[in-house]
Amino acid sequence: MKTFAELNFPGRLIAVEGLDGSGKSTQIYLLKRWLELQGLKVYFSEWNSSELVKAATSKGKKRELLTPTTFSLIHATDFADRYERHLVPLLRAGYIVLCDRYIFTAFARDVVRGCPPEWVRGLYNFAALPDLTFFFKSDLEVSLKRILDGRPQLKYFEAGMDLRLSPDPYESFRIFQGRILEQYLAMSTEFGFLVIDANQLIEQQQAVVRELVTQRLRLMDFRRAERPPPKPPAETHKKSKEEVSAP
Amino acid sequence: MKAAVKNHIVVPHQTERRFYGHGIPGVDLEQLAGKLIVVEGADGSGRSTQIAKLVEWLEGTGHATVQVGLKRSTLVSEELERAQEGNILSRTTFSLFYATDFADQLENIILPALKAGFVVLADRYIYTLMARDLVRGMDETWLKNLYGIALEPDAVFYLNVPPEELVQRTFAKNAALDYWESGMDLGLSRDLFDSFMKYQITMQKTFRRLQTTYGFTIVDGLRSADAINEDLQKKTGAVLAGK
Repeated sequence: MKTFAELNFPGRLIAVEGLDGSGKSTQIYLLKRWLELQGLKVYFSEWNSSELVKAATSKGKKRELLTPTTFSLIHATDFADRYERHLVPLLRAGYIVLCDRYIFTAFARDVVRGCPPEWVRGLYNFAALPDLTFFFKSDLEVSLKRILDGRPQLKYFEAGMDLRLSPDPYESFRIFQGRILEQYLAMSTEFGFLVIDANQLIEQQQAVVRELVTQRLRLMDFRRAERPPPKPPAETHKKSKEEVSAP
Repeated sequence: MKAAVKNHIVVPHQTERRFYGHGIPGVDLEQLAGKLIVVEGADGSGRSTQIAKLVEWLEGTGHATVQVGLKRSTLVSEELERAQEGNILSRTTFSLFYATDFADQLENIILPALKAGFVVLADRYIYTLMARDLVRGMDETWLKNLYGIALEPDAVFYLNVPPEELVQRTFAKNAALDYWESGMDLGLSRDLFDSFMKYQITMQKTFRRLQTTYGFTIVDGLRSADAINEDLQKKTGAVLAGK
């Protein structure tokens, strides 16, 4: 498997991975705002968000129709739809594509659910690897607390109830998340995750993320084409970049 | 041939089962006492007629049956139908969506029915899905991994009917060629008739190639429905007897 850079795409893909409650969505949002305010071409895509597949997924989840195999396949369908319809064309057009969860989420979750690892990896081998993958590594207890404090009503599949780990959703969620964390850690070296300490303050983490992005990407290459003569709005863009980038 | 009047019921013989690849986690293959019979073939090849006749014969000879087919899952059939109408799916998505539909029926209908000792009749199986994708340029290794979840059937009958005859049968029934069965998404020809012929020829070639891997029985679909069914009954009877 190759990265988009290795495949000579003009665009770059940045993915964030981590447990529920690791704060990765907050971090990728802040990264997105920072890049946008610099006038760069940015596109954001979220796991399990394809319009097309959504109805089937939510029906499957609501009615608890999903098995580990169909759970895996329906998420792969969702991913393929976004990949072929949005990610690849935008990467061809030189965008920075930000993904809240990428194939590693499937690698971790589906394997914990009992799908054979080689089968799951085979399903996704049509996809290129991200150019940067941030892994937000938080202590299990910290992530659990964030989720459990915020939304006490855990959903069936989210809590891994289908695995019959425990009849108590909270206990089930704990065991499930613990197993997913093990899978992530096992993949970390193999896929060169950039590990961010997610127990730190939001601003501290964001500063590290921005620093790494600046080092690894030539951000200048992703500028939106300036509209020809009239007014050059470049000044205001630069200003806002400085304001936001100072943590 | 009226088999229904006979009062000797064949108890299906247990044979060794396997999945094509990784299979479905947690399934005990030894518990699958029933039989899985697949009928493959293009639209107009007589699949549903043959299945209806087989069901009648099987029930007459004391076997309980269950029928499955493509795009019939509770999980995604409606969504798949809608997506297909809009023609907005790209090929990998299309492929995975069909695989989800197949897996849902495999796990929720086929495997439980086999466990309960039913004869399951499948109107198409993974071969049609693979052939369609192969014709559209999908990677064969990828498809084999994907459909490694499938259970190897006890028999696969491929009803072979040449495209010239398929076209006549389709017109006799509908007076219109189907967009997908004509492979119009492939851009083989802007002419629907030309495209249909080209597409069906390519599909038949692909089926013949798959036949060498999966070893299904090619049945001459040009004979009368009764003659074909007699043939299928004999072959199915042999499967039930474990021959």
